[in-house]
Amino acid sequence: MNVGLNEYILLSVLLFVIGFFGVLLRKNTLVIYMCLELMLIASTLALVAFSRFNGRMDGNVFVFFILTVAAAEVAVGLAIIVALFRKRLTVQVEELNSLKN
Amino acid sequence: MNLETYKFAAESNQWWAIMPELMLGGLALALLVLEMILPKKDHRIIPVFSIIGQLAVLAGLIINYRTPFLGDETFSHLLKHTAEGQFMRVFFVVCSMLVTGLGILGLSRQTLPRVEFFHIVLVVTAAMMLLVQSNHFVMFFVSLETITVGFYILVSYIRSNPLSLEAGLKYLISGALSSAILLFGIVLLYGAAGKSQADSMQFGQLRAYLAGTPGDFVASIGVVFVLCGVAFKVGAVPFQIWIPDVYQGAPTPVTAFLAVASKAAGVSVLLLLVRGVFAPYSHIVLPVLVVMTAATILFGNVAALGQQNVKRLIGLSGISHAGYLMLGVIASLTIPAAVNAVYFYLFVYLLASFAVFGVMTHLAGTDDTDQQLDYYGDLAKENPLLAGVLAVGLGSLAGIPPLAGFIGKLFVFIAAYKAGLFWLLAIAIVGVVISIYYYFGWIKAAFFPVWQVPLAEGETDPRPPRKPVSRSLAVTLGALALASVALGFWQAPITEWLAALH
Repeated sequence: MNVGLNEYILLSVLLFVIGFFGVLLRKNTLVIYMCLELMLIASTLALVAFSRFNGRMDGNVFVFFILTVAAAEVAVGLAIIVALFRKRLTVQVEELNSLKN
Repeated sequence: MNLETYKFAAESNQWWAIMPELMLGGLALALLVLEMILPKKDHRIIPVFSIIGQLAVLAGLIINYRTPFLGDETFSHLLKHTAEGQFMRVFFVVCSMLVTGLGILGLSRQTLPRVEFFHIVLVVTAAMMLLVQSNHFVMFFVSLETITVGFYILVSYIRSNPLSLEAGLKYLISGALSSAILLFGIVLLYGAAGKSQADSMQFGQLRAYLAGTPGDFVASIGVVFVLCGVAFKVGAVPFQIWIPDVYQGAPTPVTAFLAVASKAAGVSVLLLLVRGVFAPYSHIVLPVLVVMTAATILFGNVAALGQQNVKRLIGLSGISHAGYLMLGVIASLTIPAAVNAVYFYLFVYLLASFAVFGVMTHLAGTDDTDQQLDYYGDLAKENPLLAGVLAVGLGSLAGIPPLAGFIGKLFVFIAAYKAGLFWLLAIAIVGVVISIYYYFGWIKAAFFPVWQVPLAEGETDPRPPRKPVSRSLAVTLGALALASVALGFWQAPITEWLAALH
């Protein structure tokens, strides 16, 4: 089978949709976080595929920026999750609802 | 790539053009160095040093307001220096000075390392200044993410308080979700335009592509995704779910920073995109924005009605302000003068919001999230200055003549009327009428005694004790309130300043 641009984009959209619904439906914060990363990775895949099939390198360069940003986001995010777990002893979203009117 | 290309790239790196941002970054690093070399008892002066440094940057910006780089694209088209960019740079530096000031006050009640707070405020401010001048989606994405990641830390800054951490987590998840959607939109636009344009993430070339192919399906989805990501930053319905919780849990100075600077950055970027890159696709952009604006104004005002916690109240009312600003953005598509109305509104919103947030920060106790409307009882009798500033700030937010907020709303509404947006205008006016109810409820709580449930045996008063106002806070709040009153009568300084560059 000949894998072309459409197959890559289809895979990327699929990953993005899995990630998106994972964020909305899953209850464990860490799993939600993994789904967020999945969405970023889906964008990266589409970017590389577009870059390859358009014959330009700027998309590949943008991927490095995205990876760096994602790493910073993970560093801060996991720190917040760990600090919250120490205080509340849970990372389930349905138990994290103490902010209310 | 030949030699000419490299030569052009090297020559377009005009470092003087981003001197204010570089200075803010350098100042942020200097704060960390000062923390290391100064003895612990002298750490109080670090935030003061930060404010003095920002004053220097602000003075430099105002002196060089007509910068020679105006209209130029520097750094290989990554940045474009515009009149709007100059105005927003001044706006963000003023914001970060006020946030630093509130931070000194708010963090003095916590036992926490403090210098990092002021450091991150400076970094986020520099990123905002770059964001509003960006001319390329790589610059746009990186500076937007710098702001967002900085805000994750700031929102969860009081890490001894689980509520602050919970707010941080909520902001983290919703912020990262919106960033991912925005990024996917950028990638789709890149993919659609990449076939024909050399540098398809650059705003000018992308616009040229969009103008040439008005019905591109992939590009249309990209445009909508990017708009959704920006709408999250602005806090427009249906991307407003994070606002009440995050505003309540964040330390009050950070709430002020989110409410004013982050929202202003979002609106400014929205103007940049809608009037620039996405202008050929206004047949898609316009319906999305109109529906969002109507829902935002109505939701913000109705949801704020029943709130007892003032931080949630100001968060939800801030949603409705985002709605009025978006009304101005829509009007600016047909009436270019509406852009100035939006920027004037933003400036007025800054003055009024920081007056209110200053009073809130002063009155907050050790638990920063617990700020009930009832705690404001009898404020006018105990401290007329604070109550007066609060009344002016809230009145200006509500849009009561003759305060500045009224003129700001009037400018936006006149622009909307000229643009023929009668239905949206009617919704906005209904929204303003509703907002007067809850703003006056707050003023009433401050000016009249509030009935308290008698305390049972052994129970302590939940109200935080009232402290005397320091002189610097009194001067700052007085200046903000005076400016709000003065701009209501005399708008010439700001309007001339805005018009000077066009």
